[in-house]
Amino acid sequence: MGIYFLSGSKISDLMNVLFDYGDIFAARETEVASNRNSKSGIFVTRLSTENIQNYRVPGFRAFDNFKSFVLSARTKIADYPAEEWADIKESREKKVLVGLKACDLISFDILDKVFLDDKDFVDPFYSNRRKSLIVVSSDCTYSKDTCFCNLMGNFPYPQSGFDINLSEIGGGYLLEIGSDIGDEILGKLVLPVAKENQILERDKNRKKVLENLERNNFAYKEAFSNPEKIVAKAFNTDAGWDLGSTCVSCGACTNVCPVCYCFTLFDRKGNKKEQYKRYMVWDSCQFKGFSQMAGNMNPRFAHMDQFKNRYYHKFYRFYERYKVYKCTGCGRCIDNCLGDIDMREVLSGVFASSEKGK
Amino acid sequence: MENIYYPRQATLKNIKEETPTIKTYRFKLDKKLKFKAGQFMQLTVPGVGEAPFTPSSAPGEVKEMDITIMRTGNVTDKLHDEAKVGDTLALRGPFGKGYPMDKFEGKEVLIVGGGVGLAPLRALIYALFDRIDKIKKIHICYGAKSPADQCFKDEYKMWDKKKKVSVNLTIDKTHPDWKGQVGLVTCLLEPDCLCEGEVDVSNSYAVSCGPEVMLKFVTFKLLDVGFKPEQIYLSMNRRMSCGVGKCARCNIGPYYLCKDGPDMCYADIKDYPNVFG
Repeated sequence: MGIYFLSGSKISDLMNVLFDYGDIFAARETEVASNRNSKSGIFVTRLSTENIQNYRVPGFRAFDNFKSFVLSARTKIADYPAEEWADIKESREKKVLVGLKACDLISFDILDKVFLDDKDFVDPFYSNRRKSLIVVSSDCTYSKDTCFCNLMGNFPYPQSGFDINLSEIGGGYLLEIGSDIGDEILGKLVLPVAKENQILERDKNRKKVLENLERNNFAYKEAFSNPEKIVAKAFNTDAGWDLGSTCVSCGACTNVCPVCYCFTLFDRKGNKKEQYKRYMVWDSCQFKGFSQMAGNMNPRFAHMDQFKNRYYHKFYRFYERYKVYKCTGCGRCIDNCLGDIDMREVLSGVFASSEKGK
Repeated sequence: MENIYYPRQATLKNIKEETPTIKTYRFKLDKKLKFKAGQFMQLTVPGVGEAPFTPSSAPGEVKEMDITIMRTGNVTDKLHDEAKVGDTLALRGPFGKGYPMDKFEGKEVLIVGGGVGLAPLRALIYALFDRIDKIKKIHICYGAKSPADQCFKDEYKMWDKKKKVSVNLTIDKTHPDWKGQVGLVTCLLEPDCLCEGEVDVSNSYAVSCGPEVMLKFVTFKLLDVGFKPEQIYLSMNRRMSCGVGKCARCNIGPYYLCKDGPDMCYADIKDYPNVFG
């Protein structure tokens, strides 16, 4: 499928076409009232016809993840007893997401493994939401110190999983089509085919960001070469995990993580007599109650066991089951940790400690 | 698409008090359901929540099932306090793999239960009775705190009378009403008790269910008397919510007990952290 050029001033033309497909939620540079370091941040906001004029696709991932568009923080999953909830109809209402980065796209692939590809039990709510998305992604034009997608084998630019991908170059964007619906959307705009030098410029930009990432994360390369083996070896020891001591079990890391999907079900009384509701809500393995059983049993009672569990799940358990790591390398957990814990430092520490033990 | 979280209605048909803290609830299902021994159900107490239980009645294609429940948390307290015959509750399932019945063919099966842990084993016992001609022997060992705490008391004699079946009971502490063995359930496995002569260890499988601390010492005892980890199956317990291998809390190593268990071969799990809490 082709690559086209869209001049920067015409981004609203694309948005106007996208409006025909559904509500648009876009990553956007937004002013924030209070932030420790800067006056603005990139957040996912709903675009309206009024505010698309000066919209610009940000060059970096949004502060918030896009997970809530497929797994919302709270979903009603049943009214019971009510037979119509036993079968969930497919919904066709579309939503358009704009400004996802490669790490956000990969997060959908990872979540799919659990909620969609496990044919024994397909989650109908996830499935509906996932299929209703139109995804317009974009390249990273810069990376930050906390980014480490390259360590997870990913790239700072999308390669698949999008309907349309935008790459910022001088004077505008290159638009790459990734699906039939993407093709249909771009068919409604009259766009020139990208020139060879424009594609070269894109590739040069991409290379620059990737090189920056590689330079930044060079020290962690070894620890991330086979993280499943490192974590497996450190199963039964606390050695090397010392960084976990500043963890306050707040659950920020799991909430901002685009692929932390652990949830719990809870029931409430309904509005009518003998009617009840069931909700699915986000949970976190960093909370003490996560694996607390009736009768006060808790196999992961110790703080360190909870802390380690997140790494086991991401780099060992998930890998054993699905042959991919449950981490995109987006670095959101590092940005948001109250205890200043850096996942890269933790794994490197565990790696160093296991090397010492040899 | 099927809603995997929707609980189907089930009517409470009978309640039998087994012990002061354990009751057996008989449910009438809204439609026939096929389950294997060891598979579990998510029982909903409407408006309160769900908890996983393995049925204690004979498996197969059934319209009714027994679930034996000890009072121990939010859901079970509500059930013990308020549920009465005729009430409508809800069930989801069955989930899990169940016991590897094919492996038991031609073997002796040593069943070790503790407290309410005999409940899922009772489903296994009836499944084994059903194919008794293919099983070499069944040894049932059961430990309870006191004679009053024994579940399914009126069935032991009937089980013991069956050909190829032996029932061995113990209680934790001496009691005026008790003339049998006294000690924890592991004492039944001591070489001088059962595992010498009675059980052909090399041609056996051991299956155990009970509190985690009991599973731990039963496992160690079984290994002591010559069982290999491959011959030991344990009903592992973890908090569960979804029952379908998604919510990610009931894991041991890479396994989810709800989907890959809850009965796990000890050889598969022994090297992972927090196996026995």
